[in-house]
Amino acid sequence: MLKSLDPRVTRLNLPDGEVPNMEPKQELDQFETYEAFHQKKDGAAFTYVGPVHAPNEDVAFLFAKEQYSRRFACVGLWIARTENIMVTPYVGDTESVYDMIAIEEPAERSAEPEKYEIFHLKKRGKAHTHVGRVSATSYQEALQEAKQQFGEKPPVVNVWVVKSKHILQSAEEDKDMWFTIPEKKYREATAYKVMDKITKYKAENNNATV
Amino acid sequence: MYGGGNVFEATKFDDLQAEDPVKLAEFEARIARGEKIEPNDWMPQLYRKQLIRMIEQHAHSEIIGALPEGTWITRAPGFRRKMAQMAKVQDEVGHAQLLYSAAETLGKSREQMLTDLINGKSKYSNVFNYPALTWADSNVISWLIDAGAIVNQMANARGSYGPYCRALDRICAEEAFHLKYGHDAVVHLATGTPKQREMVQAALNRWWPPIMTFFGPSDKMSTHTETLMRWKVKMASNDECRQQFLDMYVPKIWELGLTVPDPNLKKNAETGQWEFTEPDWDEFKRVINGDGPCNAERLAVRRTAEERGTWVRHALLNPKAKYVKPLA
Repeated sequence: MLKSLDPRVTRLNLPDGEVPNMEPKQELDQFETYEAFHQKKDGAAFTYVGPVHAPNEDVAFLFAKEQYSRRFACVGLWIARTENIMVTPYVGDTESVYDMIAIEEPAERSAEPEKYEIFHLKKRGKAHTHVGRVSATSYQEALQEAKQQFGEKPPVVNVWVVKSKHILQSAEEDKDMWFTIPEKKYREATAYKVMDKITKYKAENNNATV
Repeated sequence: MYGGGNVFEATKFDDLQAEDPVKLAEFEARIARGEKIEPNDWMPQLYRKQLIRMIEQHAHSEIIGALPEGTWITRAPGFRRKMAQMAKVQDEVGHAQLLYSAAETLGKSREQMLTDLINGKSKYSNVFNYPALTWADSNVISWLIDAGAIVNQMANARGSYGPYCRALDRICAEEAFHLKYGHDAVVHLATGTPKQREMVQAALNRWWPPIMTFFGPSDKMSTHTETLMRWKVKMASNDECRQQFLDMYVPKIWELGLTVPDPNLKKNAETGQWEFTEPDWDEFKRVINGDGPCNAERLAVRRTAEERGTWVRHALLNPKAKYVKPLA
């Protein structure tokens, strides 16, 4: 049995020495991916923070809350399945993708107009930001509409289009889940002030140190 | 927490002749203009392979690096330190999540990366194959290993791959806490009782040799390295990182009256470069290839966590689920 300096590891009774390889993990062992957007303060636009892997939307929300809003100011969180986000091509940092693509005819349209959320990337390497909502009967029409409403000012390096109904949004009354962030001072760099101790030590040990 | 060591080995994709010259020129021009590369852009095979390897190793280092410190959570002296140690370990695991996702955007699945870690096919930072014998060892890791990681990560954050830059921006912001927390803990011991001083000096003596190998051996400058530097995959040489680390932290060690266990360590006033005893690269190679004090334990612990959690993941899996790689 594997003997560790940590008694809790020793108690796992793990085999010692050569072990056969683990079977390769199966596809989807780590679930599907979702994309998360956060709102830093009231009135600010929702901004892309990154992906999470999760078995469903609700768990994705919990994971994203831990992953992306545990440490920094946050008042809102949106989650969308990666599969449900339509992505345009990427263009250069000085260009607008709206001017560079021909928006195709939609293969299918919804009977009634639906709401779509529009996200722009202003610079490569930065994060997509929510610019607004449009009403349309297809992704292509939503993109066309977004071009009219938000497409005037380049650069727009890339656009994401998501149906509003495909975004899980935190509710106004959920905000208190982030209230404890400022209380956890022990995980802020500013909570650690060592200079006084060092200065005192140096003063007392002037001759003792190198 | 990650150094630069053992990353840039030659791959069979070195041959740029096989790449489309027009696309390659556009790709290089974009990087030369200072624009970032995003996941769906055309990119040379060598760029993709090296980034996957680098980001994946970084992710593994975060998740394995959480183990030697995690072991001290239950025995941290006092409630406040326990809370801080937990927050730090949680950060490291979170960093692994961010980095695995960034690597996935390049086309390697998370399942494959975890399999390669556990079966020893992918590497992680070699320093984590050494044990944290005492609480002071954990403090020295928090301070100096994280300090080394920050030197490396700040350099990489200026690199050319968008998803890696986004992950690193977030990681560097959190590492600032780790560094201050570690420094505070070391200062507490170093300015404490004789016994506490003795403890932190002993930990420093144990960790100094691995720390000196943290950035990897001197780079052999080859056309390969030059290419990766031009593409902003490799942002600084291993030696540059090591020198920068020594410049920033040796004075901070000395001001506490602690000794660095290397009689040859000194800054050459003429060259401005630190001189030191060459690390034992034979030991480094031996340990990174599996024969270190903790290699087996680290992988066994990781593997057990994966295996014992399998049934939960199976139970939760939506039968209609379909994998789509993360967007950015």
